[in-house]
Amino acid sequence: MSGTGMSGTGISDTVRADFDACLAGPDEDGALELATGLVTGGVNAEDVLLGLVAPAQVRVGERWESGEWTVAQEHAATHVSRLAVDAIASAARTGGTARTPAGADPLRHVLVACSDGEWHVLPSHILTEVLRLRGFEVRSLGGSVSPHELLSDVHQNGPDVVALSCTLSWNLPLAHRQIETCRCAGVPVMTGGPGFGPEGTWAYALGADLYAADARGAAEALLHRWPPVTCGESSVQAAAVEAYAALVRQRPELLAHVTHALHDVLPGLRSRSGMAHEEAADFLGRLLDSLAAAVFVADDRVFTGHLAFAATYLSARSVHPRCLLVLTDALTDHLRASPRALTALAAGHRYLTEQAADSRPGE
Amino acid sequence: MTDDSGGGGAWGCVPGRLGELLDLVDEAVVICDRVDGPVRGFNRAAADLFPRLRRGRPVSMSAAAPLARAAARRAERFSASYEGHGLTGRLHTAGGLTVWLVHQVSSAQEAEAALAHEREKSAFLEETTRRLGASLHHGRTVRALVEIVIPKLADAAMVVLPVSGRRTRWHRAGPGDARRSGEVSVETLERVPKVADALYGLQPRPTVVRPRELAAALEDVMPGEFGQGGQGGQGRQDGEGGAGGQGGPGGQGEDALVVQLAAGGVPAGALIMLRGPERARFDDTDIELAHRFAIRAGLALATAALYSQQAHTIAVLQASMAPEPLPSADGLRLGAAYRPAAEALRISGDFYHVAPSAAGGVTFFFGDVSGKGAEAAVVAGQVRQSMRTLAMVRTEPEPLRDLRLLNDLVISAGHRFTTLVTGAARPCDDGSVRVEIASGGHLSPLVLRDDGKVTEIVCEGMLLGAVPDPSFGRTECRLEPGELMLLYSDGVTEARGGASGREIYGEERLVDALASCGGMQAPSVAERLELLTTEWLAGRPHDDISLLTLQAPPRRGAPPHRPPESRGGSGGARKSENP
Repeated sequence: MSGTGMSGTGISDTVRADFDACLAGPDEDGALELATGLVTGGVNAEDVLLGLVAPAQVRVGERWESGEWTVAQEHAATHVSRLAVDAIASAARTGGTARTPAGADPLRHVLVACSDGEWHVLPSHILTEVLRLRGFEVRSLGGSVSPHELLSDVHQNGPDVVALSCTLSWNLPLAHRQIETCRCAGVPVMTGGPGFGPEGTWAYALGADLYAADARGAAEALLHRWPPVTCGESSVQAAAVEAYAALVRQRPELLAHVTHALHDVLPGLRSRSGMAHEEAADFLGRLLDSLAAAVFVADDRVFTGHLAFAATYLSARSVHPRCLLVLTDALTDHLRASPRALTALAAGHRYLTEQAADSRPGE
Repeated sequence: MTDDSGGGGAWGCVPGRLGELLDLVDEAVVICDRVDGPVRGFNRAAADLFPRLRRGRPVSMSAAAPLARAAARRAERFSASYEGHGLTGRLHTAGGLTVWLVHQVSSAQEAEAALAHEREKSAFLEETTRRLGASLHHGRTVRALVEIVIPKLADAAMVVLPVSGRRTRWHRAGPGDARRSGEVSVETLERVPKVADALYGLQPRPTVVRPRELAAALEDVMPGEFGQGGQGGQGRQDGEGGAGGQGGPGGQGEDALVVQLAAGGVPAGALIMLRGPERARFDDTDIELAHRFAIRAGLALATAALYSQQAHTIAVLQASMAPEPLPSADGLRLGAAYRPAAEALRISGDFYHVAPSAAGGVTFFFGDVSGKGAEAAVVAGQVRQSMRTLAMVRTEPEPLRDLRLLNDLVISAGHRFTTLVTGAARPCDDGSVRVEIASGGHLSPLVLRDDGKVTEIVCEGMLLGAVPDPSFGRTECRLEPGELMLLYSDGVTEARGGASGREIYGEERLVDALASCGGMQAPSVAERLELLTTEWLAGRPHDDISLLTLQAPPRRGAPPHRPPESRGGSGGARKSENP
């Protein structure tokens, strides 16, 4: 390991670059050798998970967003990350760098799940292993867990706490159902992931009891106060739920409407741009879901945040972000009767015009 | 009567006239030497309230019961009902004397207090119903139960669960240590007959016991600070003998209530509630509330116990029906995804199994029983088991004979059909994989070729369980390094959703989706296809979904696969292959 760029965890920039290269390969064997080598060489497994794998995975997402990688490459790389997480955890268990469980109570049951509709499994996977290394008993349900499955598992296995991971904010309304499910069953909910907004703002709005910025924060919060208690309260307003439900009902016609608008502004969508038909439909669907989620939690930032991502995504696929303005305006026309949706759309419009003004001098 | 410390009253008159002045006060004033000492004097209000009060004699139960009761438990305050009056009293010491000030509550105040009290009780019971009714997990219900009664009814609480065998479990919540649980022998339990009775369903009303008695028998179950006469560990010893247990102030002021928890006469546990010396003893209202609590708690506990037993049975069955983890095999990559229609139950009519083969590579089978849920899962389990048994008795694979035997089995099981693909995948020296399959009416496997095209492996065969003498097809194909074969159930292609919510996902979309997976590993291909199907469904109900992928590992150092220019294009990428 070279000494350059060590960040106190024993993971150098060279190691990071090597790991990134393995993900890009994808080179499973290389990635596993590198990651387990760190652990057997004495680097704390938690540091490897949070300091090497997690940031590398963020870069994987960025390379897809910027159009550098196809979905297939992104998935292939993610798969390698996942194998790396397993290998790191088992190396730590056999190598003995796992921390001994703190506290006397041997039975600390945590159920880890991704929010409904959430397929970014790696963060929950890392959380699972970090908690296990800290002596928690963890069951992990994986990606996109339905409230039925969650409730059934809660009743069968009686965890002390459910840890819910959400990466994408448009899943917030579905996450709310899961949180409610747990609350009804009397099980406290810990939340994590960028989907819950800055400092977990939206997690608390949905009635979560705890929020942690990362897996280490989650482990420490749980160790600090065990058992966790139900104390959260949902501040989602009934009127917001109604407005959200109206948007969900209208989704098919709204989708047709924005598809039409998109074709008007980009007549040669299929042949000219880098976006295929299914991909465009998917993209527009996400735009609507983000609007609906913004209405649900009554926070425009859910929508503007998605627009920021959408602008990057479109530019990378040679579509001018100005079409976002066309889309929000088309939605504004169509949603005159929904004041809550209009508020979010107005915020979206403001955001896009500001962005356009900022970027103009540089063009 | 206050001390002459600063801020007190100022007296200018002689003490002798103090009695007359006290008669002007509305509150009853009773002055004694000590709490249990003789009465030195009392005012007119006190004489009206307690006519049998006499100077020179101690406050007795017959003269002034509320004072005597409060004195006995060393309480400095009391609130009691006495001959139709509501009384509140406070104890003071002034000038070396003990002074009781007793206030008579007016009927309006009394009604208001009663209403507030009643509201508090219903809120408590409602909270009980809400918290206990929501949990079906027995352990959680027990934990919630002992926690709910604190502080409303008790300072500490234990639940002893019904006896199974010679020992039984208990759970406790109380001051200091948050949660404890453990086991206690039945013999020990029976040394406290009231607890044993409650546990056996013979104690329908809550009953008061002496904490000392409990501590003597159940020293491990009791929280440390209870039933020991407040003297640390010493009280335990003298309690042991039973007879010697009454000495000293030990346990005085402490109180315990044993409550039977049952549902419809079926015992669900015994709840023991403890109160510390600072707290009033359990009175009739408390006992009534405890009784009402016990009815709700008993029902919740019995329901959770029943659910837990059933859930355990289901979990065992689920585990036996769920697909086993994929083996690892040299020269072959495997992936699978499994999403049953009954998401809450995780059982399905889809089944697959992959086992390492002695000849190298793996043997596998994949199928789909008609229908879904438990009925389909049972047939799937039988087929799975039979296939595994056949694999054990065969020295040479005989897929067509296996299919015929299975056909007979499914016919005899009655009323259901199943599709089945069975085969073997064997890595070759050049890094390719040779796959042999025999099919009974299952959807044709798809193969993702190295050039990004998707081909269908046609293998005609009839459904199992339909006719007594069906015909089955057999074929083989080769996967070059990086190429992948997909087996899937019709839950994938028949998933209804999309923009309209009614459109089926269809084979064409699946082929396109598979075509976009070039360069991905077998497990992530299975997961990606599951993701796309699930997103297509967008939360709508669906049939059982299963996917199995087999892949020849790409050559090391081979450049990452790039899909052809017409990325995710129309179904044109697909052509049929019939070797």
